[in-house]
Amino acid sequence: MPVPVYLPRFDPSHKSSTILRWLVSEGAAVREGDPVCEVTSDKVDMEIEAPADGTLAGVQYPVGAEVPAATVIAYVLAEGESTADLPQPAAAAPAKSGATDGSRISPVARRIAEERQIALDTVTGTGPGGRITRRDVETALPAPPGKVRATPAARRLAREFDVPLENISGSGPRGRVQGTDVQALVDQRQAAISQSGATTKPQVIKLEGMRRAIAARMQHSSQTAPHIFVEVQVDGSRIEQLRSAIKARGERLSVTALLVKACAWALQRHPRLNATLEDDVLSLWPKPHIGVAVALDDGLIVPVIHAAQAHSLRQTQTAVDDLAARARSGSLRPDDLAGGTFTISNLGMFAVDRFTAIINPPQVAILAAGRMARQFVPNEHDQPTLCPVMNLVLSVDHRAADGADAARFLADLKAVLEEPDLMLW
Amino acid sequence: MRELTYREALREALQQAMEADPTVFLIGEDIGVYGSAFGITAGLQEAFGEERVIDTPISEAGIAGACVGAALTGMRPVGDMQFSDFILLSMEQLVLQAAKMRYMFGGQAKIPLVMRLPGGSGTGASAQHSGSYENWFVGVPGLKVVMPSSAYDAKGLLLAAIDDDNPVMFFEHKLLYNTKGDVPAEPYRIPLGQTHRVREGRHVTVVATSIMVSRALEAAETLAQEGIELEIFDPRTLRPFDDGPIIKSVKKTGRVLIVYEAVEMGGFGGEVAARIAGSEAFDYLEAPVRRLAGKDVPMPQSRVLEYQAVPQVESIVTEGRKLARNEY
Repeated sequence: MPVPVYLPRFDPSHKSSTILRWLVSEGAAVREGDPVCEVTSDKVDMEIEAPADGTLAGVQYPVGAEVPAATVIAYVLAEGESTADLPQPAAAAPAKSGATDGSRISPVARRIAEERQIALDTVTGTGPGGRITRRDVETALPAPPGKVRATPAARRLAREFDVPLENISGSGPRGRVQGTDVQALVDQRQAAISQSGATTKPQVIKLEGMRRAIAARMQHSSQTAPHIFVEVQVDGSRIEQLRSAIKARGERLSVTALLVKACAWALQRHPRLNATLEDDVLSLWPKPHIGVAVALDDGLIVPVIHAAQAHSLRQTQTAVDDLAARARSGSLRPDDLAGGTFTISNLGMFAVDRFTAIINPPQVAILAAGRMARQFVPNEHDQPTLCPVMNLVLSVDHRAADGADAARFLADLKAVLEEPDLMLW
Repeated sequence: MRELTYREALREALQQAMEADPTVFLIGEDIGVYGSAFGITAGLQEAFGEERVIDTPISEAGIAGACVGAALTGMRPVGDMQFSDFILLSMEQLVLQAAKMRYMFGGQAKIPLVMRLPGGSGTGASAQHSGSYENWFVGVPGLKVVMPSSAYDAKGLLLAAIDDDNPVMFFEHKLLYNTKGDVPAEPYRIPLGQTHRVREGRHVTVVATSIMVSRALEAAETLAQEGIELEIFDPRTLRPFDDGPIIKSVKKTGRVLIVYEAVEMGGFGGEVAARIAGSEAFDYLEAPVRRLAGKDVPMPQSRVLEYQAVPQVESIVTEGRKLARNEY
């Protein structure tokens, strides 16, 4: 009887191999132990040896074919045998079922094992007297690649907590991953985190109302407007003098009000930055409507001083104070917030040296003002002199204007802040 | 509170409905002098007379037809099918006529009839007198299907069914007639279309109808000693079916056992399973949705086989245990 040549199962996880080359061609003589075929698998390349003396015949798989483990790949004919003695193909394909006593396998189990090429001697029977049942064979079936047996609850939890199901050993029937298995892993992970001293639970705040609006507008601006930042340093000596003079009169001039007035003055000369950009349309506005960012307990709001060029410094101060007070008391009207063409954000009172701001869309520019700090600055004789200095950073939407536009505007702004008399011009 | 049997509760509901409303009348085989096959209407003909408790010849289609006609003309008939199996003879009147008239007449007609249907196995009455045919009606728009599982529910649901302006199939269970429960003396109504949670638990959601509710409750007592808690729901009305509380429960337990007496295939339990699988509870399932229902045979006459043919307390215990222990 022809002796089958098996692709053996190298280890329990070995599922299949590819035929690398046949070392002996059909019809050639072999001796027991001769290598007849070379196969590859995930782990190793192996030589398959002839199981007996004789002639190689009935090669079942060509080079390159993928062969399930524990499958007959060829036969060795004994002297006097011919290819006519080979088993018919239908009987050659199945696993070596002959090794198992036929009476101890249910017919359904045998059929499935043959169809799916499961070697029955690798299956443990759980039926009466160790009989192999359908269920036993099904349990032995390899799970399809990429598929994990898991309950819907387990899948949901894995999704929610971002845990890969593949790494979880399931406690359910046939290794099915249960929701409780995923939960246990998540609990374990969280216990490990809290033991390591990391914070246990964060305070959770849902973005709502103003916070949500700020988030949406700033994200939109940051993602759609290509920002360029241009900075100047302003000598604040004359500003200080002016503020002292006004203070001496028992009145008050804030840096913010002065910035509003100065920006209004400069914007009239640089309408390119007194603009809004919407849907590829750039609108240059004839009058500067200047928004002033006001910090609130949770958020910020930008009331607008409309037609700021028409206000005197004193009127500007009054308007800024009024808007800021009403912003904090929550009594701004919709009109107070509408129609801005430029924004000023002043963090000088927080002892900030300099910062950059995100443009308030659809405007195209925003001015970020730092504090007035005393610094040594070289005078005209290159001698250090102590003077008040303020950093201004202008953010510009590069779609609407260029660095040179920003620079020209800042030059005028610097000029008017260093020489406030120019405001009269 | 006062205890009544399921039988007495039904009789009291009929009596109170007839006292309150002269258009309510009863019609069926042997319901007058004999007091009906299961004694539900005993004494009612003496109290209300032959015009309101009408004995008929053996003609179920005739009873149903009379009910439909009377309902159309403004009466509130309560038909008695003696055995629910015989409802099959009146399908045309109920399914083609009663269920569709309101719709086909553009809302100009109403059919306030109730068909009382003693059903179920357990009395050795064999294949033609032991059926559970409720699922034959749950797919019929225009009908309502009610299945009381206790004496309290029997009275409250029957009064609500008589009040209802739609044809109502009212499936009673013969084995429940002698079971007792607290029943208030005054008339009360249990709204149709409200699922009732009869027991709270954490591990397995059980949906049971009719006599299976009390069997599930008994099974729950046994399993509780093993630490397995069943949460049991009685839909009470199969059509309209209120699946909300059940879906909510499945999100908690992740495991479902549906218990009903009718043959498993094509039964109401399939609808329950599909509702759960198609709901938001799907993502919470920890095991396949399981049904425990009647075997795929005509009801055997042998008491031994009859017992095996439908879910019993022991089989509910076994299934509940396997579900809770992750064996499915």
